[in-house]
Amino acid sequence: MPQAPFRHPAWLIGPGLAAAGILLVMTVAGLAALFWQAPLPALAELWQQPYLRRVLTFTLWQATLSTLLSLAVGLAVAMALARRAVFPGRGLLLRLMELSLVLPTIVAVSGLIGVFGRQGWLTRLADGWLPGWNLYGLGGILLAHVFFNAPLAGRLLLQALESVPAPRRRIASQLGLRGRWLWLALDWPAIRRVLPGITALVFTLCFTSFAIIMTLGGGPASTTLEVAIYQSLRFEFDFGRAALLAVVQLALCGLLWLLLVRRAPTRGLAPDRRLPEPIRRPDQGGLRALRDRALLLVFSLFLVMPLAAVLIRGLPGLTGMFLQGGAPLATLWHATLRSFAIALPAGLMSVLAALCLLALGNRGGRYLAPLSPLTTAIPLMVPPIVLGTGLFLLLRPSLGDAAQGMALVALINGLMALPFVAQLLRGPLNSLDAASLRQADQLGLLGWYRWRWLYWPKLKQPLALALAYGIALSLGDFGVIALFGAPQEPTLPVLLFQQLGSYRTEQASGTALWLGLMLLLVFLSLGRLGQPKAGRPATTLSTTRVHHA
Amino acid sequence: MRLRSLFLMAVLGATAFAQARANETLTVYTHPSFAAEWGPGPAVKAAFEQQCDCTLQYVVLDSGGDILQRLRLEGASSQADVVLGLDTATMETARQTGLLAPHQVSLAALELPVAWRDELFVPYDWGYFAFVYDTEQLPNPPTSLDELIGAPDDLKIIIQDPRTSTPGLGLLLWMRSVYGDQAGEKWQALKSKILTTTKSWSDGYFSLFMNGEAPMILSYSTSPAYHMAIDKTDRYQAAAFEEGHYLQVEVAALVASSRHKALARRFLAFMLTPEFQREIPLKNVMYPAIDLGDELPDVFDRLIQPSQTLYLDPATVAEHRKAWLEEWLEAMSR
Repeated sequence: MPQAPFRHPAWLIGPGLAAAGILLVMTVAGLAALFWQAPLPALAELWQQPYLRRVLTFTLWQATLSTLLSLAVGLAVAMALARRAVFPGRGLLLRLMELSLVLPTIVAVSGLIGVFGRQGWLTRLADGWLPGWNLYGLGGILLAHVFFNAPLAGRLLLQALESVPAPRRRIASQLGLRGRWLWLALDWPAIRRVLPGITALVFTLCFTSFAIIMTLGGGPASTTLEVAIYQSLRFEFDFGRAALLAVVQLALCGLLWLLLVRRAPTRGLAPDRRLPEPIRRPDQGGLRALRDRALLLVFSLFLVMPLAAVLIRGLPGLTGMFLQGGAPLATLWHATLRSFAIALPAGLMSVLAALCLLALGNRGGRYLAPLSPLTTAIPLMVPPIVLGTGLFLLLRPSLGDAAQGMALVALINGLMALPFVAQLLRGPLNSLDAASLRQADQLGLLGWYRWRWLYWPKLKQPLALALAYGIALSLGDFGVIALFGAPQEPTLPVLLFQQLGSYRTEQASGTALWLGLMLLLVFLSLGRLGQPKAGRPATTLSTTRVHHA
Repeated sequence: MRLRSLFLMAVLGATAFAQARANETLTVYTHPSFAAEWGPGPAVKAAFEQQCDCTLQYVVLDSGGDILQRLRLEGASSQADVVLGLDTATMETARQTGLLAPHQVSLAALELPVAWRDELFVPYDWGYFAFVYDTEQLPNPPTSLDELIGAPDDLKIIIQDPRTSTPGLGLLLWMRSVYGDQAGEKWQALKSKILTTTKSWSDGYFSLFMNGEAPMILSYSTSPAYHMAIDKTDRYQAAAFEEGHYLQVEVAALVASSRHKALARRFLAFMLTPEFQREIPLKNVMYPAIDLGDELPDVFDRLIQPSQTLYLDPATVAEHRKAWLEEWLEAMSR
């Protein structure tokens, strides 16, 4: 057997260490650049402002509630989906669950308002049945956060549930385990591995939520720290205060990540083998099945209705653009190409960086491994506007033409997707059982071959999904590109905001729908790419194959 | 295979950004509503390039605040020759940066509701803040701020946050110039009518107002002109308030570090000619800064004519803005 490429252990640590280093340096340098521009405000003085104390209390309160609700709904849906592995429309439901998170906030919120608002369908339908229902306030914030995050949590949890090794599932099925026993034997061990990461992810998303809180919060009584940071930076040019608030946010969220995610990842126990026939879960029938169906139906409606509102609102504008053709269609088309030109490299980069960082987490040892969960989460905790401004200050003299600007946008977009991508890959990457690993060790399966025959078959599907998230998050991003000054030619979200900003409601609705369709296309095509070919079992590590390798 | 073709598209898209440059280039920092394909930007560029033998290049930033932010960050090394898209609320902060140079342009042609003698800033359009209402939902809108504040609580309005949005700040100054030190109490009385306070004008207009969530939204007195001229509907109108309306003037200025100052001044002077100004009314949906005569679209005759123009000196605004914001915040979060 020739020497495997990349077999040296340094290959498992080096790239991850480099990625972590780049992230840390960028964060520290970005913040330091702001502090260096402005005198440091006294922390004590900041603390004494009743307004900021109120903001912080509210931020924590709504984020905690949103997280609990999102996780509860996500878990219930994931369990129901795990129990009902086959039903018409299941694939589409999964794609919609993936879609909800990446839709630009303004689009999703307008859909939610179309359903749950004062003049929304559901509100009018339930006329009088829901006394006192008012979207604007804590209720609306929670509703929107559940809409964005419960599908994400559900998708990630389902992925964990489905990764339970087949032999283990067969035993549970043969033993006829039910209820609590089934949960303890099968589901809980799978969920336990990913739950801390998902909790931290959802909490951070809700903690740093911005436009949702303002639009649906009803007034400045509902404000998050992120709003205060934005205000300091954009309106008061108080860099020191902005950086300090960002550090407070970083510290709070970082602490949570460290507490939740730091534990050593638990390895899968039983070796996984794909079995020819599907395994029935023992709890598929009876009353439970009815309950699952009802739950999935309600959840699907909850997801589909706002998206349908976006569809119905956007259809006239979009068909108009396609029927008339000419300049508006050309603009849309070019914006689409430009968006993909940024999003594809950004997505690829985030997947690559996530793999490197996760390898570092597994092989980095006691001191380097904790860097992995922390650095993959940083892009969520530091507001991009703070990071962007800081980096701008540093890169100012060398920031050249539009192409360089675009490259920078792609880079930052890739980083922003890192927390999601890493979360999607962490579970599957760590779920390889000890027996398989030992077997691979004994066979001297190292470097490239280890990756090709041991990891790739298990990771193909998660990788495709992670890539889809990476691309889609960048495709729907508005914040980063606005920060660095879009060139005259807009990307899709920039085009959308241009139309929104100049009364072009119908065209904007059309562009929003088109963007939604593009996002769906990304998930559909990559979802298919990752699926094992029908008719034959997916390639897995089996002894015969290894001998051939 | 599919991935490969996508990648090919990516590469093709990237090369499209590389563009040829010719002769002298004038760089203008501006915001999206000006530079957008349907905004005044493209027509202005074509008209100016015809007479200047130069290239006009826009760098598009998110908002007036961002233009100022970028200018501050870049300091003397800025690429910008002209900044276009600041307004009366941001110009004082811009002045204090010391990064702008006198325009030396004759302001004789200006037609503004207030006298304008600023040596740094050249106005290019203006408008009044106003509440736009849906005539189908609200046939009889309030006729004054007082009436709005005293209206029953089931009248709902949408406003924007003065910390993150220009019209939002406009309403803050409007309330302040009508009620002075009583503004805080009046905000408290208004609070129960506010359905929600959005981050930006777009959030409110697109997600809420056009969805029919509330019959009234804080916007501009010129907004109905767009709906009447382009959407061909009279459904959305501005409510005229007896106390008068607060004025916004949008301005441009010359950047002190510019290496094309002569050309930049030519552009600022060009701004006050009909070639530039005729693009303003329907493409920027604001009043032109000079008298366009017959060229002013007819729909502008059907807009409300405020009985009084409310306007606070930018220096006063800059001095008190923080205190007034805190007053608002205190009143609204109580």
